[in-house]
Amino acid sequence: MRPENYEAQRQPPSHEYELNIGPNHPGIEGNYAFKLRLHGDRVLEGKADAGYLHRGFEKLMEGRLWIQNLAITPRICVPDPVPMEVSYCLAVEELCGLEIPERAQWLRVLQLELSRIAAHLFTFGGHAATTGMYSPMFWGIADRDLVLDLFEELTGGRVYHIYNIPGGVRRDAPDGFLDRVRSTLDYLDSRLPDYDNLLFTNQVFVHRAKGVGTMSREQALEWGVTGPNLRATGLEFDVRRDDPYLVYDDLDFDIPTEEAGDAWARTLVRRKELVQSIRIARQVIAALPSIAGPIRCPIPNPLAWNVPAGSVYTRVESSKGELAWYVVSNGGERPYRTHVRGPSQMHAVQVLEKLSVGCRLEDVAQTMFSLDACPPEVDR
Amino acid sequence: MRDIDYKDKGGILNPLKSLSFFGRSSVTVPLEPRAASANYRGFHLNDWEACIGCSTCQKVCDNAAITMVSIPDLPQDPAKGIRNLRPAIDYGRCCWCALCVDLCPTGSISLSREYVHTCLDSELDSYFVLPDSNGIHGTPYPKGWAKSEDADLVALERARMEELPPPERIGNFNEIVAGYDANQAIIEASRCVQCGMCFDACPTHMNAPEYIRAIWKGDLEQAVREIYRTNPFAHTCGRVCTHRCEDACSVGHRGTPIAIRWLKRYAMDAVDHERVKRIAAEGKARFLSGKRVAVVGAGPAGLTAAFDLIKQGYEVTVFEARPKAGGMVRYGIPDYRLPQDRIDRDVDVIASLGVKIRYGTQVGTDITMAELERDYDAVILTIGLWMGRSTRIPGSDHPRVKRAVTLLRDVAEKVKVSVPASAIVIGGGNVAMDVARTIARLQKQTYGQVKVTVTALEDLEHFLADPEEIKEAREEGVEILPARGPQEILFKPRKYEVDKIHGLRTWRVLSIFDAQGRFAPRHDEADEQIHEGEMVVEAIGQAAEVEVLGEELTERLDWNRGRLEIDDQGRTNLSWLWAAGDMVRGPDVVSAVADGHRVALSINGVLSIREDAA
Amino acid sequence: MTKDLSTWLDTLLDELQGIEVRRKSSRRIRVDVQPDALPALLELLRGRASYVHLSAISCVDWIEENEFELVYHVWSYEIGSLVSAHTRIARDPGVYISVYDIYTPAAFFERDIHEMFGVFFEGSPDMSKFILTEWDGPPPMRKDFDSEAWVNAHFDFQDYQPDWLKEIEAKGGGVAVRPDEQRFSRRDVDAS
Repeated sequence: MRPENYEAQRQPPSHEYELNIGPNHPGIEGNYAFKLRLHGDRVLEGKADAGYLHRGFEKLMEGRLWIQNLAITPRICVPDPVPMEVSYCLAVEELCGLEIPERAQWLRVLQLELSRIAAHLFTFGGHAATTGMYSPMFWGIADRDLVLDLFEELTGGRVYHIYNIPGGVRRDAPDGFLDRVRSTLDYLDSRLPDYDNLLFTNQVFVHRAKGVGTMSREQALEWGVTGPNLRATGLEFDVRRDDPYLVYDDLDFDIPTEEAGDAWARTLVRRKELVQSIRIARQVIAALPSIAGPIRCPIPNPLAWNVPAGSVYTRVESSKGELAWYVVSNGGERPYRTHVRGPSQMHAVQVLEKLSVGCRLEDVAQTMFSLDACPPEVDR
Repeated sequence: MRDIDYKDKGGILNPLKSLSFFGRSSVTVPLEPRAASANYRGFHLNDWEACIGCSTCQKVCDNAAITMVSIPDLPQDPAKGIRNLRPAIDYGRCCWCALCVDLCPTGSISLSREYVHTCLDSELDSYFVLPDSNGIHGTPYPKGWAKSEDADLVALERARMEELPPPERIGNFNEIVAGYDANQAIIEASRCVQCGMCFDACPTHMNAPEYIRAIWKGDLEQAVREIYRTNPFAHTCGRVCTHRCEDACSVGHRGTPIAIRWLKRYAMDAVDHERVKRIAAEGKARFLSGKRVAVVGAGPAGLTAAFDLIKQGYEVTVFEARPKAGGMVRYGIPDYRLPQDRIDRDVDVIASLGVKIRYGTQVGTDITMAELERDYDAVILTIGLWMGRSTRIPGSDHPRVKRAVTLLRDVAEKVKVSVPASAIVIGGGNVAMDVARTIARLQKQTYGQVKVTVTALEDLEHFLADPEEIKEAREEGVEILPARGPQEILFKPRKYEVDKIHGLRTWRVLSIFDAQGRFAPRHDEADEQIHEGEMVVEAIGQAAEVEVLGEELTERLDWNRGRLEIDDQGRTNLSWLWAAGDMVRGPDVVSAVADGHRVALSINGVLSIREDAA
Repeated sequence: MTKDLSTWLDTLLDELQGIEVRRKSSRRIRVDVQPDALPALLELLRGRASYVHLSAISCVDWIEENEFELVYHVWSYEIGSLVSAHTRIARDPGVYISVYDIYTPAAFFERDIHEMFGVFFEGSPDMSKFILTEWDGPPPMRKDFDSEAWVNAHFDFQDYQPDWLKEIEAKGGGVAVRPDEQRFSRRDVDAS
């Protein structure tokens, strides 16, 4: 809601008051508002208010050619754009019955894991900042930039890669790229003790994060929570392993879990996933040189490309959880309907509202960051 | 790779370990922009030399960021598919997805490694940029994302067309090219980027982008409708058109042009003939104007004019000396390129609209031009080029030396043509190829083997015949000798009743034209060859048989170097007489069709004004 | 356990009347069901076959058939398969039953569909505006709402007059084809 349209309601005298966090607040990931009713510093009720980032992408995509929509998909989730591109491409490929060349599949996995690393680094930093610790944030963003350097080299763009295309990817990896990925991964690996010292084993942080925004496994399942947030309640589930796509079947990785289900557990799961993603990326680097062949199967002229009628639901595991596209074609050159199911649609709205009740004002931002809420996924 | 054991190692002092960072040097970043990666998608570059102004970038731009700007200084050539348009980019809208680069037919657009631009509100115009190879600020930056084989989205390869292999085609007159099936046609049509260069290049401006797209959509009736908007010789042009559209096709700059001619042929073959007739009749006037138009000669130009005029309510009668309509496309093009039943269909569509064709009526003998002048409101002369030219070398006036048009006409009319076991064709154009390949087929049928020699003045680089004609002729056993100037036809010693041709004596050609560009061949007389053959066919060009006009009319008409003088509408100096087609335009089917439209438009303009005045 | 459950699922799907089941792949099942039977199907899937996770509810506006299609994507962590239950309701009045009592996440999706398509879900906890707080036009995701026309009516293209363009115009050239004349993403590219 625009500020000029906001009218404070006259309340009878009470200890209760309303507080708006956002839509522009350092504790909010992106433009998003969270309206609180408090008693003292205790939250009585939280209401999520979205719409500040609504660009009508789903509607926009209905008016564009299949391939033109590639430019839109990464914009739906800025910190973790690759899963958006890949899952949309997977949907179009399934509708068209395209066989993706193996090399392209491995390149996609490499991007997906690099993107996960970048997104997790971003989230750690943000989470630390909500507890008043800014160094991990600077570190996280600086180290994420190194991953963005890799993306720039591979895809030509740092944030919006627009690198995947139905049928494969748009470019092969440049010469020496894999070496640079390897050295960046080594560097990130070497940074982990620094992060551990400053954040994950820092008792100030541990005490701040433990017991905040706790949910049980039953609640998580009830509320439709997915991804690291679900794994933090002890359920070992990952779309990459349990509903595999691309070449994840051939890869060796673990699914880290925690039992506590609080902000601390969620952060730890991400911390461990970082290690797993580095592990997967290293497997890709090792395998890629021996996988020759094209990076894209032949696709029609983008200006004359009808996708066979049908509907498809493709899901992937993004850094935030289960990400899915429901894509409907009526046989035309544009999608008839695209619906994106961002994981944050659950944990940035209902779950956040539920978890914030009873928590203290200073923990609200932390709860939101520990859930890794991504407002653009809600708004689309 | 490490994992943490946070439960054991946690401690209040751990963060203090980070104090060691005070001992490290701080990270500094230079003020100037960091160099971008080799693949970077920055501001656009456009190589104006390579850009053809096809505006494909504009079509694929999802953000409507591209405006095409016409630049008068740049060359413009519809025949080569070059427009003076260049893309201008609105950086308020561009999202740097680089689809414009990947779909650019010529590869002229690329993105540079330059990525910094900012300005005050008052300088917003600087966001609208006409990129050239110097970049947005005039400081050259290296290319970033550019055309590569990996990323190319232009379909460069043509869908394969089945053809009869040489051994199967040489002994008969069966059509060589199989034509596309539905699947191939859709794939081929899908390659089109809808730039419309073909429309600009086509003499009769066929709506090729529209019918290609209709074929891609599977709406073949719509395709036929688009074809008939501008060309009633649809079957004919679908097979033997000189396809200037394909020369201009923007996909052809780096790949094979869209097979526009074969797509037209596919659409025409795929739609039921009766349905084609109904589509062709759409838009026919429901009234009769009461005006009568006579057309002399039922070739492409004459029948196209008749088609247009009958649709506008005129009564049209066509006078044709031969027993069948079609003119040179029927009597000059062998069956293996254009089967006669296809011409029958084109003629049938036109006749079905009500055009009356009087066959076997030779103007000048069966009916005079004076009668036509008297009985009709307008007369169109489309008598074609039916008189074969002669080399006039010694021996060429001998009755056993044939002219190309006569030979082809005899074959088409199924007159018994006897060919000897060896023959020589003089000429290097497509007609010479038609003659040579026709003789080759007849020889194969009669003798089981081929011996045809073609001698042309031109060397191979300047050959007039299409490269594929030359290739196919050679595959069929025709020997082609470039740069040979004919000097004399030799005869065998006179021991028979009738003279028998022995062969042709030629000299090597040094040059064909003199410094002023006039025809004056120079020869190397030392390089003399005798080519053996019992028959010589001259295929060096044709002229119009203007004797049909009669002396009196010829006197009244204006002439220019033996050609009838007409204005740009096809009208002669006589108010009732128009001329069109090969006789005034030179030999080409699709130009004849275009000419037919032109005179029909002119006649309609003149006759309807007369009516207004009356 | 898993095997038992999938047997359960098969029996369950066989038992139900008036539904059409298509197995698209080992982990994707499409079920078409009448709107009055859908809540019962979801109840059974959740209660008896372990489909506890409602992944999404998608709405498709089939304006030519005058119908909305609602697709409920439910996932079983134990069987490892995703059932997409398709049902169609009349576009007018566009009212349906909430499945919030079966799946809590439905609240978000139903609110979203109500806002974007105008489908009202009876029994859903909150049908108030969420994303389009200050929008009072028609539900924008409906096919009969033309967002591009709305944008063109409310916003202008930036009017640029750069010097290079003025120079070209002085020579007789200038803007030849505006972006919206040729763009393939415009709606009616083939209507002419």
